[in-house]
Amino acid sequence: MPDGSYERPQQRQFNPYSENGGTILAIAGADFSVIAGDTRQSEGYSIQTRYAPKVFRLTERAVLAVNGFAADGNMFVKKVKQRLEWYRHAHAKDMPLRAIARLIQTMLYAQRFFPYYVYNILGGIEEDGTGAVYSFDPVGSYEREACRAAGAAQSLVQPFLDNQIYFKNQTPAPGTNHPTHLPLPDVLSIVIDSFTSATERHIEVGDGLEIYVVLAKGRSTQELASIGGLQELSTRAEGDRMFVIRRDLKKD
Amino acid sequence: MSIMQYNGGSVIAMVGKDCVAIASDLRLGNQSLGISSNFEKIFAMTERTYVGLPGLATDVTTLHEQLRYRLNMYTIKEERTMEPETFIHLVSSTLYEKRWGPYFIEPVLAGMQKTPSGAFRPFVASTDLIGCINFAKDFVVAGTASEKLFGVAEGLWEPDLEPEDLFETISQTLLNAVDRDAYSGWGAVVHVITKDKVVKRTLKGRMD
Repeated sequence: MPDGSYERPQQRQFNPYSENGGTILAIAGADFSVIAGDTRQSEGYSIQTRYAPKVFRLTERAVLAVNGFAADGNMFVKKVKQRLEWYRHAHAKDMPLRAIARLIQTMLYAQRFFPYYVYNILGGIEEDGTGAVYSFDPVGSYEREACRAAGAAQSLVQPFLDNQIYFKNQTPAPGTNHPTHLPLPDVLSIVIDSFTSATERHIEVGDGLEIYVVLAKGRSTQELASIGGLQELSTRAEGDRMFVIRRDLKKD
Repeated sequence: MSIMQYNGGSVIAMVGKDCVAIASDLRLGNQSLGISSNFEKIFAMTERTYVGLPGLATDVTTLHEQLRYRLNMYTIKEERTMEPETFIHLVSSTLYEKRWGPYFIEPVLAGMQKTPSGAFRPFVASTDLIGCINFAKDFVVAGTASEKLFGVAEGLWEPDLEPEDLFETISQTLLNAVDRDAYSGWGAVVHVITKDKVVKRTLKGRMD
């Protein structure tokens, strides 16, 4: 100090990130895609809300699930939607799924040195009518896969999916093969089981479950008829169709 | 990284219908370097009591010896074998004795408990590294792949599995969990315990 006395050096820090828990999951079928997420949002041991959606409809055939830092996630979805609207104005059509995937990569990498603290999973229908899942890391590294879990309970869910979707560590009966894609009812059962299991053992997972189902154009909706809590989101019955299934999860 | 993850390894035990199973991987590592693919961490303490000791490898050996010594003293003094439920309390007090300088082990126990009628009932339990007991009704897990084991077991396990189905369930749970854990794997071993026999099987799994 000017008078010759000493003071301790002080340090202040602002942490711009936090972690808001929850888990997301997506599975691709031959001609459909399922994208799911729980609706609990927490910070530390406190629940901020029991209903904060993490899964968003982007186009008629694309759904984005965002997990990690909720503020970044909401901002990122907002900006992706804005870019997709601009694309519609310029080209008079929706952006194809693989193009949305590449767009998300460039948008994430643009923030390489101050990243959006989020894991993204993009699901939907490709231009060729196949179901697809793309998963991203926070800085845009991405890959097309058949299934992916991310978020707080990733370590609980992913090995279960390896076993049930990829049939890892299972030997097919002689002369037979494991199916490359599962039927829709099987996929929905696996998704619901994954979230009930994760809810049982992980404190940051629970409250509600939202499962988005995107069906390729012309595909039968028969298998969804018996599902409870179903709501259709698509406006036209002739194109790709989108549904959401809302379920309760344990709140403790 | 924590001392609990230094050597890697995982154990799981499950309850079935008139049977229990306990399984572990066979890896011993030095952080990310694999040292051995033949490091067993499940030990037969009595004919019907098996204990798995995942954690720091040096303590696996020491604690096993310590438990074997105390179990033998009990057997000699009491002139009877120790029941699993008694044994888990022995494990607990042995660990709590070292409350301020613990063995870095999280024991998992599986056994057939003798009931007053003379029949046997399946019993599993686990403790933390200072001996706090978890009496679970379904399954217990421990080790570097414990989170993954919880996830898969919660999805696959169901009540009243027959020995052969229990074997399949515990094997699939273990293999798929350790395949997502860098510190566990390199082979696996499963013990299925019924009232009159124990079947030990070594599994073929991914070796990477």
